[in-house]
Amino acid sequence: MIEIKKIRKSFENRDIIKDISTVFEKGKTNLIIGQSGSGKTVLLKSIVRLIEVEEGEILFDGRDIRRMNFRDLKKLRQEMGMVFQGGALFDSLNVADNVRFPMDMFTNMTAAEKNRHVDFCLDRVNIKGSHHLFPSEISGGMRKRVSIARAIALNPKYLFCDEPNSGLDPVTSILIDNLIKEITVEFDITTLINTHDMNSVMEIGDNILFISTGEKSWEGNSTQVLFTRNKKLNEFVFASPLSKRIRDLKQREDDE
Amino acid sequence: MKIFNDIGNYFLLMFRVFEKPEKHSIYWRQTIMEIDKLGIQSIGIVAIISVFMGGIITLQLTYNMTNPLMPTYLIGLGNRDTLILEFSCTILSLMLAGKVGSNIASEIGSMRVTEQIDSLELMGVNSASFLILPKIVAVVFISPILFIFSVFCGIIGGLIAGPSVGVVTVAQYMSGIRTMFVPHYVSFSILKTLVFGFLIATVPSYWGYYVQGGALEVGKASTRSVVSTSILILFFDLVLTQLLFK
Repeated sequence: MIEIKKIRKSFENRDIIKDISTVFEKGKTNLIIGQSGSGKTVLLKSIVRLIEVEEGEILFDGRDIRRMNFRDLKKLRQEMGMVFQGGALFDSLNVADNVRFPMDMFTNMTAAEKNRHVDFCLDRVNIKGSHHLFPSEISGGMRKRVSIARAIALNPKYLFCDEPNSGLDPVTSILIDNLIKEITVEFDITTLINTHDMNSVMEIGDNILFISTGEKSWEGNSTQVLFTRNKKLNEFVFASPLSKRIRDLKQREDDE
Repeated sequence: MKIFNDIGNYFLLMFRVFEKPEKHSIYWRQTIMEIDKLGIQSIGIVAIISVFMGGIITLQLTYNMTNPLMPTYLIGLGNRDTLILEFSCTILSLMLAGKVGSNIASEIGSMRVTEQIDSLELMGVNSASFLILPKIVAVVFISPILFIFSVFCGIIGGLIAGPSVGVVTVAQYMSGIRTMFVPHYVSFSILKTLVFGFLIATVPSYWGYYVQGGALEVGKASTRSVVSTSILILFFDLVLTQLLFK
């Protein structure tokens, strides 16, 4: 479980994150949604302390990441996995070596054990026969999947995904969403996902935090999000005519 | 004020670079790769430049010192000492600051803008140490070797150019190469290459590590790294020459 209490971050005297408090539960997919520029990525990077916040507490199962020294922070980060927006795979390493990297760095596994675990992780994200390819030789969706495989290589307790669906077609997006959901339940991890993809919100949003201009504007789940009276959230969720029609149809169905 | 900010950040980065590595075997493997990438792959260009410069220095000495009172062995001697004292350490380091320095700055800068450095940090890896320490060890290790190799190539260049245009015989040139050899010149120059090697590895790493933005900023960081490394090399050349030759 990750708990954040009244965190605040500003850049050049402009508040980007304003007093946000919430709890991200274990074994669930916790979504942070909001428009582009609303502060989602800053919030996510602040939680993992890639960006230092000015005020507030960020508790990982009771451990405040802000109070940790460099050594303790490194230890805590070994319990985290992160899927970056562009994948952030190491260009100089092939697919298998990218997944093997955390094992090389932090475990004393034998070469055979590592190979087996690499196969397991890549199998888990449905990648077969591409071990020798380099990041520049694979598609965007595959890069995201390799990134997920690398993130779960050390069985993390916390998984962070920064816009895992950006730049992907709808079919691949659903695959990635389902994969993250399955992994979250299977390994019982606390997963935080930054997204503005409404399909993700509806499909895998166990807990949803909506932020607008750096402030917490709404909190709930994927069922509640459809019928909220929050004006800003409504504008965000039902931005397209298609989503408005879906809402009306669902409303009619429920009434009948 | 920005220069003080940069100097402070540079030293803070160096503190992080020299922390204990997470796993020595991985760092060792990285260092070997960096020696190959930054050092071995520079041998060709070092050889070409040194041979030509050795030849040019020999011809310049010959044409500008034509005097019946001047012994011809001075041509070989002049070429040797020029190569040892300045060309093969300072000028070669300036050239490496361009080739190796821009490579380091753009590599680390690209990793920064594509979030690969954040990714390393998130895994619990000290990204500064993991990326920069092997480069420092590699460049500092390879620089004296490249220096010795460059001196050798420069002498060969003079040996080819001088006798082939008929301004000096092989015997006269070789006699000059062996005359009045001062071993201190070599140790002094090796010390300089160690310092320059450290600058070539760390200054571009600093500019690359703190890049913010995209491809355009990576390009700017690369240019800035070459300019600042070159200026620092010349500054330290001046300081070390004064200190060690006083």
